[in-house]
Amino acid sequence: MSLNVLICDDSSFARKQMARALPKEWQVEVHFAGDGVEGVNAIREGKGDVVFLDLTMPNMDGYGVLETIRRDDLPAMVIVVSGDIQPDAQDRVKKLGAMAFIKKPIDADKARSVLTEYGIMTGA
Amino acid sequence: MSVAAIINEDQRDCYQELTNVAMGQAADRLARLLNAYVVLPIPKISVIENSDLNMALQGATSDSSVSAVCQGFIGAGISGEAMLMFNDASFASLASLMKYSGPLTQSAELELLMDTASVLIGACIHGIGDQLEIVFNQGHPVVLGQHCDMADLVAYGNNGWDKALAIEIHYTIEHVNIECELLLLFTEESVRALNKKIDYLLD
Repeated sequence: MSLNVLICDDSSFARKQMARALPKEWQVEVHFAGDGVEGVNAIREGKGDVVFLDLTMPNMDGYGVLETIRRDDLPAMVIVVSGDIQPDAQDRVKKLGAMAFIKKPIDADKARSVLTEYGIMTGA
Repeated sequence: MSVAAIINEDQRDCYQELTNVAMGQAADRLARLLNAYVVLPIPKISVIENSDLNMALQGATSDSSVSAVCQGFIGAGISGEAMLMFNDASFASLASLMKYSGPLTQSAELELLMDTASVLIGACIHGIGDQLEIVFNQGHPVVLGQHCDMADLVAYGNNGWDKALAIEIHYTIEHVNIECELLLLFTEESVRALNKKIDYLLD
């Protein structure tokens, strides 16, 4: 059974950029969500073993998603991908349980290094 | 607001995302300067008619007394104008965060305004430029007014265009009363050139 990866961002351009940045040889099922509410629903449906999460989104923002994951103990490894690069923002998401933080704009090198560093993608 | 669209939905989405990244970089610079957390909103991208500028600006701050700076920038056949408007009530908090001692005179406020403007406008414009591989050269910042009415500012921005792409970013600082609005305006001709760069990214 392959890993389910969820890309949660309100921008379709950002979702596409993120999807392109994923390592080509990584055998995963990629799903998309356009805001935090869709994102949480997708995680509940088992589509978010690994979640690439934006912070600034309508309806429910990334912080809300992290809080929901923690409160309901949802099984998701979250990597925040955000343009909010303030040190405070990085601290806050780590405290809320995010595994890693990637600064936007995303590229293939950043994605690969985080995925290997945290052992999410092995054998690369 | 848009009558005849000069950008399509994919392009609008892309402008918004590029702005999101650029304003984050600008906020990071400001946060380090003030040692505070800058709250980032979703930037608003719209095509406005000249006559709508008034409405765009009126929505910009909750206070009618504002101080504002503008700065032009140009590069790769694209020219734009950045306007930074501060709610006048912001200056007291700004001065205290910047550890500015002494009385808050008009010239002290001017210094705070210019310092903040150079950080926010510069970082934001370069942030957008970097992503599009455009080097923007900035003109000299010009003070549009201190403690003036929003309507007076509108007269300035109204010059020589019918339709423009407006990028609005409303910055607030957490826990203190600081509120400012950064408005980037690109005229139709510049938007055509920008759209080509955007389409390349979208491809």
